[in-house]
Amino acid sequence: MKINSTSLNQSWNTIKNRYSILLVLLFLIVVSSLVNPNFLTGSNMSNVSRQISVTTILAFGETLLIICGLIDLSSGSVLALSGILSVAVFKATGSLPLAFAVAIIVAVFCNFINGLMVTKFKTPPFIATLAMQAMARGAALLYTNGQNIYQIEGYTVFGQGFIGFIPTPVVFLLIFFFLTWYLLKHTRFGRSLFAIGGNEEAAIASGINVNRNKMAAFLVNGVLVGVAGVLFMSRVNAGLPNGAINYEFQALTASIIGGTSFTGGIGTAGGTVAGAFIVGFLNNIMNLTNVNSYLQQIVRGAIIALAVIYDIQSKTSKQKKKLGNITEK
Amino acid sequence: MKKLLVAVLLAALTVLPVMASGQSDSGDGKYKVAYIARAQADSFAAWLANSVKEEADKYPDIDVKIFDGQASDDMVNSLIENAIVNKFDAIIIQPNNGESQRPYAEKVVAAGIVCITTNARISGIAGASSVDADPYEQAAIQARAAVEQVPQGGNVVVLKGPPGNFHADERRKSWEMEFFAKRPDVTIVGEQIANWNKDEAMSLMEDWVQANDSIDAIVSMNDNMAAGALEIVKDNSKFSDIIAYGVDGTAEACLLIKDGLMTSTTLQSAYDLAENLLSVVNQLLTGEATQIDTDIDCPMVTIDNVDEYIEMHKRAGAL
Repeated sequence: MKINSTSLNQSWNTIKNRYSILLVLLFLIVVSSLVNPNFLTGSNMSNVSRQISVTTILAFGETLLIICGLIDLSSGSVLALSGILSVAVFKATGSLPLAFAVAIIVAVFCNFINGLMVTKFKTPPFIATLAMQAMARGAALLYTNGQNIYQIEGYTVFGQGFIGFIPTPVVFLLIFFFLTWYLLKHTRFGRSLFAIGGNEEAAIASGINVNRNKMAAFLVNGVLVGVAGVLFMSRVNAGLPNGAINYEFQALTASIIGGTSFTGGIGTAGGTVAGAFIVGFLNNIMNLTNVNSYLQQIVRGAIIALAVIYDIQSKTSKQKKKLGNITEK
Repeated sequence: MKKLLVAVLLAALTVLPVMASGQSDSGDGKYKVAYIARAQADSFAAWLANSVKEEADKYPDIDVKIFDGQASDDMVNSLIENAIVNKFDAIIIQPNNGESQRPYAEKVVAAGIVCITTNARISGIAGASSVDADPYEQAAIQARAAVEQVPQGGNVVVLKGPPGNFHADERRKSWEMEFFAKRPDVTIVGEQIANWNKDEAMSLMEDWVQANDSIDAIVSMNDNMAAGALEIVKDNSKFSDIIAYGVDGTAEACLLIKDGLMTSTTLQSAYDLAENLLSVVNQLLTGEATQIDTDIDCPMVTIDNVDEYIEMHKRAGAL
């Protein structure tokens, strides 16, 4: 009987450690569906998924970067710049593939500069990407003279369309979820990112080319930001040079709530999606029940604080356990 | 070598913007006017700044320099101080927050420099002039029409601008006095801040559509947010009769009115504001007048007159 309860305890601990974020998500879904009958409807679920797709795609990029000890504070601005130029190219040529390609090229180029600043000039990623944040936003505003671009019918297919019954942005979300998961879990690149973020010195000692992997992480992030740029502008049916302000922080929030550790070396694609849904559902239920805007901000802030506290606590307890095992031996 | 290269690059970058915008004092006898914009990233503020620049080209004796306040009180105040130190002949201030800029506008007057506040005016500064539109009245003409147009017992959603913004607060107050107080049968089923932004308004409207079977009207404090809410319901037959109100008269709003999606907006014409600003600054600099306070007209744009405003936007290159 004692063995049973111990093994039960152990398996509960395993579930708690591995799937705690999903338990939080499940709890939120149950509570929200009790609070508002509209919450659990198919159309509302599709609604929330569409709302979070842009920031979640950005969050995949942040997750890759944070895992290897980097960060991107420029993603919202680079999204705006790549989206604006993509819209402009679409207006000029009417070609969707060309518009899509331009967004990706611009965002990859900006991230190449980020990568160069970090790897070649040893700029702290926080500062390098902060500089890019200002430059990209400035470039978007300069190009448009601060004005929005309208009348882009035809471009909205990416952000407002459906593939079957699934909204197109959600299809992109699923594709990039799978790619991020695959990169992190099944490729040497993914393993290198964990190694670099876990202990950069050890990674160098074991023969990993740290700079090349960091640059690659930025370039992958560029592809994600470019796609997000197209989806964003297409969703709002306009070219907004001042759009997506602070989106990098929403992406970071999703990533951190999803268990990615700011100290590097820890993070999953699944956790990031769960983190994004927690934020998305929370915003959704607060709007469905018409909670005061100011209160919403307090709740969002509190959730971030709790997620980080939980992250630090669980790491400390893991460390304690490890140390305990060593002493026992 | 690398260090030297970086240092040279840095020095070049520092000088570049000054050269590009011709900031150096040419001493050509023209009146120097500083226009301090609230935030060049705000689409209305950018429209106004661009219009001021264009209008200034019509005055050969006036040279206008545009400065970006970056939506920060501190930045706007610093720019005002810089303009005083640099002895501009006139300083036009588009405040980020009127009360925060008030002491700095007073410093401009005290320094003997022509001071004009605009969009929104800082009232009650002796010796300062102003050009503005009345935000209360802008919303009030919509609200008075809505009293007749919104169906009995209707459900409405309200999209608000940034808290503490004078125009955002005045427009909301106007809707309260002119519409909600007169129509107690109407229910507000959703009211949130969308910070003037289209994308934020879209997410809010998506959630409100889920929570409510019927929404009869969108009451928005500007056009961007109204356009965002309409983006969500435009293809939904359940909301084909929805009424939507905005303020600003942007190119997008005019197109939406033309398409029958938006009901009406109030034009706050940046062209008119710019025209008045330059005329006022010219009169003050040449001594024709010593103090002027003026408001531009804010016509209501509906399906009946939208064509003339679409033409206006086309002429200005916004469409």
